[in-house]
Amino acid sequence: MSHPFKPALVCLLLLAAPAFAAAPHPIALVIHGGAGVIERTKMTPAAEASYRAGLAAALDAGYAVLDRGGSSLDAVTTAVRMMEDDPQFNAGRGAVLNHHGDAELDAAIMDGSGPHAGAVAAVHHVKNPIELARLVMEQSPHVLLVGDGAEEFALEHGVVLVPRTYFRTERRERELEEARKAEAARAKAAGVTASGTVGAVALDRAGNLAAATSTGGLTNKHLGRVGDSPLIGAGTYASNESCAVSGTGDGEYYIRQVLAYDICALVAYRHLSLQQAVHAVIHEKLQRTGGTGGVIALDPAGHMAMDFNSPGMFRGARDSQGKRVIGMYGDDLK
Amino acid sequence: MSAAYAIAIHGGAGAVPRAALTAEREVHYRKGLERALDAGYVVLEGGGSSLDAVTTAVRILEDDPLFNAGHGAALTRDGAAELDAAIMDGRQLRAGAVASVRHVKNPVELARRVMEKSRHVLLVGAGAEEFALEEQLPLVPNLYFRTAERVEQLEAEQRGTRVSDLVPCTTGTVGAVARDAAGNLAAATSTGGMTNKRPGRVGDSPIIGAGTYAKNGVCAVSATGHGEYFIRAVAAHHVCTAVEYRGLSLEQAVREVLQILSALGGDGGLIAVDRDAVPVMQFSTDGMFRGARDARGRREIAIY
Repeated sequence: MSHPFKPALVCLLLLAAPAFAAAPHPIALVIHGGAGVIERTKMTPAAEASYRAGLAAALDAGYAVLDRGGSSLDAVTTAVRMMEDDPQFNAGRGAVLNHHGDAELDAAIMDGSGPHAGAVAAVHHVKNPIELARLVMEQSPHVLLVGDGAEEFALEHGVVLVPRTYFRTERRERELEEARKAEAARAKAAGVTASGTVGAVALDRAGNLAAATSTGGLTNKHLGRVGDSPLIGAGTYASNESCAVSGTGDGEYYIRQVLAYDICALVAYRHLSLQQAVHAVIHEKLQRTGGTGGVIALDPAGHMAMDFNSPGMFRGARDSQGKRVIGMYGDDLK
Repeated sequence: MSAAYAIAIHGGAGAVPRAALTAEREVHYRKGLERALDAGYVVLEGGGSSLDAVTTAVRILEDDPLFNAGHGAALTRDGAAELDAAIMDGRQLRAGAVASVRHVKNPVELARRVMEKSRHVLLVGAGAEEFALEEQLPLVPNLYFRTAERVEQLEAEQRGTRVSDLVPCTTGTVGAVARDAAGNLAAATSTGGMTNKRPGRVGDSPIIGAGTYAKNGVCAVSATGHGEYFIRAVAAHHVCTAVEYRGLSLEQAVREVLQILSALGGDGGLIAVDRDAVPVMQFSTDGMFRGARDARGRREIAIY
């Protein structure tokens, strides 16, 4: 751990942190790898170990960025990119497949100091959608680019496109097959695992918040269907004035409720604590409408929330107070 | 108060140079706004729903080549019309939206189908058009949307002459908000986006919470302006949370969000109606094509 302060002074300042303006800002990173039916009874020890390893790798890589004084924006980009590259998670390689058997990817990133934001939706050939979302934020006057237009923009900025087959994994092909059968039988798909999506929220030493989310959406989804992940305010939101949020769950409910922004509005306007706001939105508002899912959230003081009304959510959190947790089930530490 | 009903519409906000808008053209715009306003109002007067009223008003504005939505929409940098629309029903926060469609005559109707006939909220591009066909909505060639004026406008923009998307006929966009006699709120917005935009660019109009929002008991909002700023500010939902969480009047909330947008560097306008059927129309630009009508006898069409 490299630190510009002398160890003794750091200890003193950390103890006094809430009251002392000159204190080094706390840093924190929270990530998720999707919420859904994640239950001990359905998980083999090997699968569990593999998910934990994937989450730990993304969490620690993102945290390392913050720890060396990097920006929250770089931290969330790093953590999300790693989960995109990890085929277990529903984003990038290993994303779920749409009705036509293709991965169709959505991602968004937001810088709470701006507000600046970038997002892409319905792209088929972009290896790391989160990086393209960041390019949209930094290199275009726009916020959201979709489909072929987004890929044209990628090519114009030197992003190498990959074939559709890059994203497909045997597991997702099997899941699509099952979903198609379930649809044909007019039955609800049984034992659906995580509704997927990956995301990260971070607070850096300068006090800036950032949020990022990336997803393949729903298995067997309609061509062109866009969920909450790339929509600023719905699945992704960050403002240094209130909070940073990344969501995962029944996207359509998140869109209608403008869920991520609503949490921040409750913090800013109703003066709820971050945990109270997240609880109200997930366990009251979302619950009432019949939606399921979860969110991760961070406020400018470094308070964090990881909450969900689904059986489980892949998640991890780490901060400068020494906290480091990885969880997936409902009874793991939230 | 529960029998009160009202509708407000807009046909875009932006620089409306009086010189570009001849007396004759101004009459056309006013007539176009009147047609949409009155048709929407008739729906409410007949006991119809706010959802039907905003659909009717927006469809008429889409069909009118003067406004930047549907026929006569602004063109992308490759000369095609690429359309976005959204609709929201304040009763149960149901919503539907489409973006980047090139062959759907009335995008607001497709947005409504997405809301009513699919389990999704937002469909984009070829997938949205596939859904249109599944719903038996006929597709039209992209040429249907192109008007001589929009081609001229695109060419001028590409030569580097800055022109307004509003006139000919600025930042365009059409929208409607309504409260029906049953107290239900609804909002709809439709647009061709910015002239010379990059294909695939999506603005605030089809983004629930940014350009369009409706929640019973709170408010219904439709926005027009520099879309990227409205997305970052989550403008339409900001208005509703300011009313719901802080007790601001609708007019205060709308003014506040316009100030926030201006501070970020974005201009535009919003129309909104509250739970008591009081319409609000505000903008930070030179003008906004707009109209409002309510059961108390107010009927207003205005541009500047």
